[in-house]
Amino acid sequence: MSSAPAPTQSVGPEFRSQESKPTATVSVNVDVENVKVLAQTPQLIALLSMIRNKDTDRADFIFYSNRIIRLLVEEGLNHLPVIERNVTTPVGHTYNGLMFQGKICGVSIMRAGEAMEQGLRDCCRSVRIGKILIQRDEETAMPKLFYDKLPEDIAQRWVLLLDPMFATGGSAIMAVDVLKSRGVPEDHILFLNLIASPEGVKNFASKFPRVTVVTAFIDQGLDDKNYIVPGLGDFGDRFYTI
Amino acid sequence: MSKLESHVTVQKRAYYSPPWADVSIIAIAGSSGSGKSSISQAIVRKLNLPWVDSFYKTLTPAQSKLAFANEYDFDSPEAIDFDILVERLRDLKAGKRAEIPVYSFAKHQRLEETTSIYSPHVLILEGIFALYDPRVLDLIDMGIYCEADADTCLSRRILRDVRERGRDVEGCIKQWFGFVKPNFEKYVEPQRKVADLIVPRGIENRVALEMMVQYIERKLFEKSTHHREALSKLEMECKEQPLSERVVVVNETPQLKFMNTILQNIDTDAEDFIFYFDRLASLIIEQALNNVQFKSWDVETPQGNKYAGLVSKGEVSAVICLRGGSAFESALRKTIPDCRTGRLLIQSAYSTGEPELHYIRLPEDIHEHESVLLLDTQMASGGAALMAVQVLVDHGVALDRIVIATYSAGRVGLHRLTTVFPEVTVVVCNILDTQEPRWVEQKYFRC
Repeated sequence: MSSAPAPTQSVGPEFRSQESKPTATVSVNVDVENVKVLAQTPQLIALLSMIRNKDTDRADFIFYSNRIIRLLVEEGLNHLPVIERNVTTPVGHTYNGLMFQGKICGVSIMRAGEAMEQGLRDCCRSVRIGKILIQRDEETAMPKLFYDKLPEDIAQRWVLLLDPMFATGGSAIMAVDVLKSRGVPEDHILFLNLIASPEGVKNFASKFPRVTVVTAFIDQGLDDKNYIVPGLGDFGDRFYTI
Repeated sequence: MSKLESHVTVQKRAYYSPPWADVSIIAIAGSSGSGKSSISQAIVRKLNLPWVDSFYKTLTPAQSKLAFANEYDFDSPEAIDFDILVERLRDLKAGKRAEIPVYSFAKHQRLEETTSIYSPHVLILEGIFALYDPRVLDLIDMGIYCEADADTCLSRRILRDVRERGRDVEGCIKQWFGFVKPNFEKYVEPQRKVADLIVPRGIENRVALEMMVQYIERKLFEKSTHHREALSKLEMECKEQPLSERVVVVNETPQLKFMNTILQNIDTDAEDFIFYFDRLASLIIEQALNNVQFKSWDVETPQGNKYAGLVSKGEVSAVICLRGGSAFESALRKTIPDCRTGRLLIQSAYSTGEPELHYIRLPEDIHEHESVLLLDTQMASGGAALMAVQVLVDHGVALDRIVIATYSAGRVGLHRLTTVFPEVTVVVCNILDTQEPRWVEQKYFRC
């Protein structure tokens, strides 16, 4: 099932020569519109290396994944609509700035998605956060919706959907279906995740071409158990219980 | 610069000499009790300058015993460690930091700790034999000899030694006739001939004191004028060129512009300002960290898969330029919670606008750190930043390991800095064409 190995390249600031930049595996390039992969900076690769490493303890895992989540949220918020706004600065100049239009909320897919709530709150204080519980049905091996609690006016909001690992995309597809059934337009949904698989991204985009996906890294593929390769293990376990 | 990066075409480097590279040393000699300490301290107080007077040699156990019996000859040039003195003065002349030994007269020995002196504009060297060693004479800019009659000297000496140094009167008198007086005639008095100025009646001589203070003030003013002239010359030289490729501007995404709109708005309340500054500062720090050195690191995931990743090559520490840079501190702690952090206080002199170093506290081994982030909120003319980088260089930090991170910077200041120090990387959020007062820290700290 696993596809071609992920690309390796030298990573670092532009002013350094190729030889003085270390090489590392970077995100797979997937030709799908509406998929935004964070810039493959050396710092991001280093953060990902920390959380992938099996020897990283839980405290560090939490710390370093939070830093990536923070970057994901910052990038996700860039896809909200803006309006121009001029302000006067403390030294009396005019600054040609902008403001965001519309209201947002977060929706986390339990349990791993809840790990991303702190990063969202770090950027948007007092943001409303809904929750969706989706679990694999042991009989059918298909995802099944167990619980949801969403803001009443979610149809009028931009939704940041949170789930760190985007493997087959089964849960994410079900979550988007739930959001759509509550009246959220597809193009008002931003799906934030840390690590995605090319299969998941393509499958998801064919169903919801207008949902924006923001990810830190697209890995090389899935193994026969549908785990992301190389991945980082079970995110929820590493964040909450191991 | 490392070998790997030697391909970088270093633009025409401009030369910058910090004001402390040309320290004026004023030596004040005179017999014990002649009032030289009082005079030096009066000058130091008036001008707020550092001074040096603890170059006694560490005594051997036998000598120490003599000293406690008041039989050791402190008033002979033999007691003074001229070699160390000359070495330290040369360091200071070269603009380096110098460790000054601290001598305890109560314990008769050099203490473990040293005082470090760094970057004075004028240095007062005070001691019985300040004008004794010809090597010292070569280094000083002005030599002063304090004179007082013997009765006055003896009585002052007794008062001082009994009150401040815990001796008894008999001991003092024994020392006086045993060492002080013979030495005076043999070693101290001859210094009179090499002095530029002879001051009778010590501290009571207000005219002499005023003259010296005025002379030093004039010296300081000349130095400051030269420094500022050199700075504005640099400014002219680099106005025309494009910005260095090592100036990295944080991506102006809609979020960044939105945060800037809130920060720049005069009507933003303090709570929002602090929140959005911290948020934006985190992005600036993340961007700065992209410019430190990494090395390859292969990791294994819990499922046993391999990933070819990266890890920071070594320790990344930070140096905060007070007060503005400390606004970055909470963002810094969020990114590197245990980041070792040095601090510098550089302020522009009120009358001249010349940057002055007031306080410095750096990690001991900062020269071994892989990268050093230099943090400040605003960089206008670049004068303070130039000085801060020079301070790091003086402490052994290689230029290509320094990453400056700042919220806003004047174009001219950036040019000036990168022309003088082309290997330094600068990460900046806003580049300004005009100079602004330091309002960011004012809003952040609310005063």
